Amino acid sequence: MITLNDVHKAFGANRVLQGVNLSIASGTSMVIIGGSGTGKSVLLKCVLGLVRPDSGQIMLDGQDVTKADRDAFLARFGMLFQGGALFDSLRVWENVAFRLLRGAKALPKPQAREIAIEKLRRVGLKPDVADQFPAELSGGMQKRVGLARAIAASPEIIFFDEPTTGLDPIMAGVINDLIREIVTEMGATAMTITHDMSSVRAIADNVAHAAWRGDPLDRAGF
Amino acid sequence: MTAALGALGRPVLEALAAIGRVALFAGAILGHTLRPPFYFRELGASLLQIGWFSLPVVGLTAIFTGGALALQIYAGGSRFNAEAVVPSIVAIGMARELGPVLGGLMVAARVASSIAAEIGTMKVTEQIDALVTLSTNPLKYLAVPRVLAATLAMPVLVAVGDAIGIMGGWLVGITRLDFNSAAYLKNTVDFLEPWDVGSGLVKGAVFGFIVALMGCYHGMNSARGAQGVGRATKSAVVSASVLILAANYVLTELFFTS
Repeated sequence: MITLNDVHKAFGANRVLQGVNLSIASGTSMVIIGGSGTGKSVLLKCVLGLVRPDSGQIMLDGQDVTKADRDAFLARFGMLFQGGALFDSLRVWENVAFRLLRGAKALPKPQAREIAIEKLRRVGLKPDVADQFPAELSGGMQKRVGLARAIAASPEIIFFDEPTTGLDPIMAGVINDLIREIVTEMGATAMTITHDMSSVRAIADNVAHAAWRGDPLDRAGF
Repeated sequence: MTAALGALGRPVLEALAAIGRVALFAGAILGHTLRPPFYFRELGASLLQIGWFSLPVVGLTAIFTGGALALQIYAGGSRFNAEAVVPSIVAIGMARELGPVLGGLMVAARVASSIAAEIGTMKVTEQIDALVTLSTNPLKYLAVPRVLAATLAMPVLVAVGDAIGIMGGWLVGITRLDFNSAAYLKNTVDFLEPWDVGSGLVKGAVFGFIVALMGCYHGMNSARGAQGVGRATKSAVVSASVLILAANYVLTELFFTS
């Protein structure tokens, strides 16, 4: 379970998060909706430790995330970034297998490639995409590769930051369905940031609303 | 009065803070250089990019500089019948000063800009954040291989630049200034001491470190958007160039004035 208690974050005079309280039960899919600039992405980055909150507590399974072993903590997460955030200099399969090729539990290259191709197939991409570079792919395909990378190491928790932004409605629907299927299939805990209501309908078990004008997230799990 | 002092003090404090940030950044890179994991593939790619692909620009710069130097020394030397010093002064000038400094400046223009733009773009497209979520330290994965590669590659580039520059002087000497080829080469070898070359190579290593450090620092601290990346690229080239010239003076004082 992920729990946020009274989390605050400001950038200069701009108070983005003001006392956010939120709980996400294990194995459920929480969607956080709200307009631009309401701190949705910042909240997600605070959980991952990419942004340090000014105050408050973020707990994962009862343990303060700031005190957890960083590598072990991050190994439990997968993340789909808004723009894909694929590494330009690496081939698609190397992007997907990035985590599998590094660290104490690094796999041999052929095995990692095999898993990467399997994950690409899972998100509806053909194996011949594996040897292309991200710049050679369309926006929708890049999102799928990002999704494949997020699930490559079978994480317990997956974050999706604006998964359908920049996609046409048909491709957005495909990505939403994929996310729902994968989260259900893996039994993962999911947290999705979006302002796309079709994503909410397709993905959410619970919804939290980041209120306008920089007020804190007003409630969760309704 | 207070306002005037404040106006004077603010930029000084900002400059000191910036120096502190760069020093901490350099310290962090040096710390990571000695600790695993080591990214050999990234180091190899950086060596190729920074070393091999910089050879043409360094070589071209060196050959024209060597040729121009020979012409200038000949013209200046002829005022007091010292035309014969052309080979030795070209060699010493290239090895001690012009090889490392011009090589460093050319690599700063080519490499610091490229590193800052690449890392800056990675930052604004969240690729740096993605690295963190994939349990990879961006400093270790992106900065350490580049800084190490530049520090290792620059002395080699300087050595090649020295040789090509001296050859440029020789070429001009025998074709335009009526020097005897064998005598020119003998003069070059006789007057050039090992430390002339060695000091230039040490300077090269320091300049390589500065170039990659500035590229990585400004890239990692790039602001958002195309404008932010553009500013980071410009700052990387300007700061690397100024630091190279400043470091060159300090190193010359250290090496040759005692």
